[in-house]
Amino acid sequence: MIKSYKFRRHLANGFIYLFLIVMGIIWISPFVYLVMHSFRGEGMITVPYLVPHEWTLQNYIDLFTGAGGNAQLNFPRWFLNTFVVACFSCVISTVSVLMVSYAFSRLRFKARKKFMNVGMILGMFPGFMTMIAIYYLLKAMGLTQNLVALVICYSCGAGLGFQISKGFFDTIPRALDEAATIDGATKNQIFWRIILPMSKPIVVYTVLTSFIGPWTDFILAKIIMGDKRENYTVAIGLQLMQQLEFKNTYYKQFLAGSVVVAVPITLLFLKMQKYYVEGVTAGGVKG
Amino acid sequence: MTFVEYKQLNPFQRFAYNFKKFILNIPHAVVSFFKAIGRAIVKFFTGVGKGFANYGKTFVKGDWATKLSYLIFGVGDLHKGKYYKGILFFLSEVLYILYMVFFGWNYLKDFGTLGVVKAHTEYINGVIPQTVPGDNSMLILLYSVLSIVITVVVFAIYIANIKDAYKHQIMIANGEKPTTLKADVKDFLDGKYHITLLSFPVLMIGIFNILPLIFMILIAFTNYDMQHLPPGTLFTWVGFDNLASLFNVVDSARRAKTFIELTEWTLIWAVAATFSNYILGMIFALMINKKGIKFKALWRTLFVITIAVPQFVSLLLMNQMLQTNGAINILLSNITGSNVEIQFLNDSAFLARMTVIIVNCWVGIPYTILSMSGILMNIPEDLYESARIDGASPVKTFTKITLPYMLFVTTPQLITQFVGNINNFNVIFLLTGGGPSTHEYYQAGQTDILVTWLFNLTMNSQDYGLAAAIGILVFIVCATLSLIVYNSSKSMKDEEAFS
Amino acid sequence: MKKIIAILLAGMMTATALVGCGGGDGSSKAPEGSGEGSGGGAAKVEGSIVDESYFGDEGTDAKPITLKVWAPDAAVSLVKEQIEAFKKAYPNKKFKEISVVAQGESDAATQMLNDATVAADVFSFPSDQLNKLVDAGVIAEVAFKDAVAAANSKDTIKAGTLKNPQTKEDTLYAYPETNDNGYYLVYDNTVVSEDQAKTLEGVLEACKAADKKFIMNAGDGFYACTFAFTAGVKIDGLEDDGLTQKFVDYNEDEAVKTLQAFAQLIKDYKGTFQSLDVANIASGFTNGKTGAGIDGSWDTASNQKALGDKFGAAKLPTIKVGDEEKQLISMHGYKYLGVNGSSKFPATAQILAHYLAGEECQLQRAEKLGWGPSNTKVQENKVVTDSIVLNAIKEQSENSCAQVNIASTFWNPMGNLGNKLIADDCNPSDAAAIKKLLQDTIANVRDEG
Repeated sequence: MIKSYKFRRHLANGFIYLFLIVMGIIWISPFVYLVMHSFRGEGMITVPYLVPHEWTLQNYIDLFTGAGGNAQLNFPRWFLNTFVVACFSCVISTVSVLMVSYAFSRLRFKARKKFMNVGMILGMFPGFMTMIAIYYLLKAMGLTQNLVALVICYSCGAGLGFQISKGFFDTIPRALDEAATIDGATKNQIFWRIILPMSKPIVVYTVLTSFIGPWTDFILAKIIMGDKRENYTVAIGLQLMQQLEFKNTYYKQFLAGSVVVAVPITLLFLKMQKYYVEGVTAGGVKG
Repeated sequence: MTFVEYKQLNPFQRFAYNFKKFILNIPHAVVSFFKAIGRAIVKFFTGVGKGFANYGKTFVKGDWATKLSYLIFGVGDLHKGKYYKGILFFLSEVLYILYMVFFGWNYLKDFGTLGVVKAHTEYINGVIPQTVPGDNSMLILLYSVLSIVITVVVFAIYIANIKDAYKHQIMIANGEKPTTLKADVKDFLDGKYHITLLSFPVLMIGIFNILPLIFMILIAFTNYDMQHLPPGTLFTWVGFDNLASLFNVVDSARRAKTFIELTEWTLIWAVAATFSNYILGMIFALMINKKGIKFKALWRTLFVITIAVPQFVSLLLMNQMLQTNGAINILLSNITGSNVEIQFLNDSAFLARMTVIIVNCWVGIPYTILSMSGILMNIPEDLYESARIDGASPVKTFTKITLPYMLFVTTPQLITQFVGNINNFNVIFLLTGGGPSTHEYYQAGQTDILVTWLFNLTMNSQDYGLAAAIGILVFIVCATLSLIVYNSSKSMKDEEAFS
Repeated sequence: MKKIIAILLAGMMTATALVGCGGGDGSSKAPEGSGEGSGGGAAKVEGSIVDESYFGDEGTDAKPITLKVWAPDAAVSLVKEQIEAFKKAYPNKKFKEISVVAQGESDAATQMLNDATVAADVFSFPSDQLNKLVDAGVIAEVAFKDAVAAANSKDTIKAGTLKNPQTKEDTLYAYPETNDNGYYLVYDNTVVSEDQAKTLEGVLEACKAADKKFIMNAGDGFYACTFAFTAGVKIDGLEDDGLTQKFVDYNEDEAVKTLQAFAQLIKDYKGTFQSLDVANIASGFTNGKTGAGIDGSWDTASNQKALGDKFGAAKLPTIKVGDEEKQLISMHGYKYLGVNGSSKFPATAQILAHYLAGEECQLQRAEKLGWGPSNTKVQENKVVTDSIVLNAIKEQSENSCAQVNIASTFWNPMGNLGNKLIADDCNPSDAAAIKKLLQDTIANVRDEG
């Protein structure tokens, strides 16, 4: 009886491993293709085979030195810009998401549900329609064509993404809060000392998604930056390489640039994995 | 149907029963939704009425400082020794007046017409043309909205200032002392902590989300289009013309047809994209997090690495790979040994739509895995333990514990994802660009959803008015739908079920 | 550099000389162009250097000149040199800074429309954006109309002239810079012979024989309108409403026959004819997959790099319809320099644009960048007449439709027409279906029904 149960479990796990391996290959293969071809020496945009014949670092060297064509590109600078913007907006957005979701999950106040409903539907308007308005609001504040404007844009709406973490906070037992209140803790202390340390998985999720934003947006950032190339982010830069007149010359650099962009995000995620595991342990304690 | 009868049904019948109940409930939910809106409006006006009554009453009963607060903000508080609040009130009035005099009023005064002075050309020395700028309708509209919003906020501060002055007057009369700054700060960290937490996000959202939103909604009632482009030409109010043209099957039949058919596809797309991601993502996350599966970090990294590449890059790459000379056709050719040239994106509407949905899974599932893993890890272990003690099978544990728990936590996420997919610009625009093309639609292709159509309208034809009108319709549908679903969902009705 | 200065000095001397003897026939003192009053003592403009009086009060010590110029990336360094020469040509003027900023021409208008006040004073853009710029009132009209009109080819002037939305008068809005913004046949001359390149059948046959592809982006309206134009369905600007595309009357049966011929030919050479983004043409040349393609001047450098000695270029080929060889007719555009209407230095901006679009600068661009000039004198220059690419473009431009006054609804339906003609399920012998397709396309472009 026990044997057959074990056997069944092994069989099930075997299937799961097989499934994960197959799916993992499917998921990773475009990425592998991207990495391989960023080292490709021959050809321009496409080659009629899957694995490059000639391997080189030239695309990366050109990318960072601005060589290899006549476009005025400055990838290192753009990379730095994006990194700075991403760090700042990531911190601000994460803090504001957590503040908002804690307030909605744990505190009880007048018009709470109304706020939540409004917050939910606000994000439903097609975003790019409002971009030109955002541009002129920033302009009225004297904030166009610089990185501060980008940080503001990427973190201002973050509070609207409270649903997921509110759902998470809802599952943390209230008994903890009550015990702390009896011990004389204020709501502020409860938030920082009790709830936050228990929310690592969701903090990881929030940090990661808000860190990624600046690396991927090329529409709003372009409107704000206009012709000021030294303040571009990598996303606008990569988009620029896709323009008609550059596409042929810069396609391999574009691939290399995309790989470089993936590096900080991957590193961040690997680092955050640790907290994921810690989150599990914390979850065990509170049971 | 009684509880016992329900329990005797098989899962499919139960599903059918629940589904029927849900569908039958929709009209009721819609009705109660609009009733709620109606009640809110009535409440608002009675509130305003009461406000006016109080406004007069307070003035009659107030002492000189309270009365002076009706003109100069904060005098009441300053007089009663509540200095920091009084100063803040006063400052807000000064700033408001400065703002209006030097900036706001210049735009607000033209709000009714959106400008009358046209730009024209003058010639310096009779030769060099120079544009003499006229009114800029767009800026007038935007900055008027800004000024109106600021005015509303300042009005609220004004009322608060009066109430506060009167409150402190009463307190002094009763021999009490106004609270100190220190006590107030402490209160803001505990009893009024929600104000501390929410004020900054609300301010930011107000400026950069709500304000532009109001602006956009108003654009739908103007003739902002190719022939009325600021700063060269003025645009003005046209009422409901733009909305009407969407439903006018006589004069603009192709437009109306496009609108209706794109709406259908948008909904199909949103349902397919959301549920494929949700269900598959949950299965993946469950497998990765299953007890006894090793290398959890490796599996997660494997999937999540696709997030690391900016979405627009991976979509452009996918587009390249799906071309007739792209990697996928090369791979298929290598496998089959013959020359394969499948037109994934450009030929049949069905194939293109399927491709988009599948690629969207590739893009979206890692996100689902990421958020689900976090939630799965947090399911209280004792729930499982007691289930094990009761001898529940793994399937039963899943349907009785994991699934309800996940649904409870992720219903809001499902809604946001659904709406997100209705507005999912990137996947469609970068992957197919709307294609395959058709002559049956106005400025749209067969995989275009409403937002990408909207984008084409603004980018190609500068038809902002029409685009904003479509935007409003999309918004109303999304908002109504999600408010109803969200407010009748378990996680909203019973927020404390799992805590 | 010395050469430039020499040219400049020569230009200056002629200009001053002409100004000097301007009063000779007693009537030529009238200001340029605009009939708006008699501008006190404005001098005649000839050549690319104008009289300093046009500057007005700009460039004095009290008001030193600050300008921003947008140039496409490839031209930035050359434009910088040209601006240095410009400053030397006006030694009495005080220049604080004239900056050159790289800005792709393809989204110049978008940037101008977003916020003209931070955009460049002088900017370079392709002709299809002119409508938008004029409608939004962000582009200033040309100050030195007559001189510009005299120096440049008629087509470029005609395409740069639009109705002023307010006065409804025909107005020249931009300084012509190139006449080469179009596409042509580019081929590997070891695959396709010069003779075969004359007919579409020949090109396709040659590619098929060598087992290579012929690439044309038939799904993009910019290229696909060739099908319609060749079939005789031509456009003629916009209707009076300023929105709807106006079509020239055409013989529908004849048009359908041509479209059938296209569809049949593409069907016959299925596997050889490939509809892909034009960037794939150069890629295909490098890896030997492409034999020929229809590509534009912006990819010339890539294609030349990919093919080296094997590079061949010609006007678009002909197609056999019945017994007749019909020349493929293309969409052809130009590039212009525009002056920002909200420039703080309107006079200097005009003078600079006039200079940059002048004969000397166009010649330098033809020499260094291979751009096809719009200036009639430079067009005769050996640099231009010897270039096979520029010749191909020039020949093609004689069989083309100018890319100006194109309705925004034009591109999608035309792209659809191309897609449908090359689709697997297109039946070339079904005249009725193709007729319906054509009618639908026209109706959709005109936003009817």
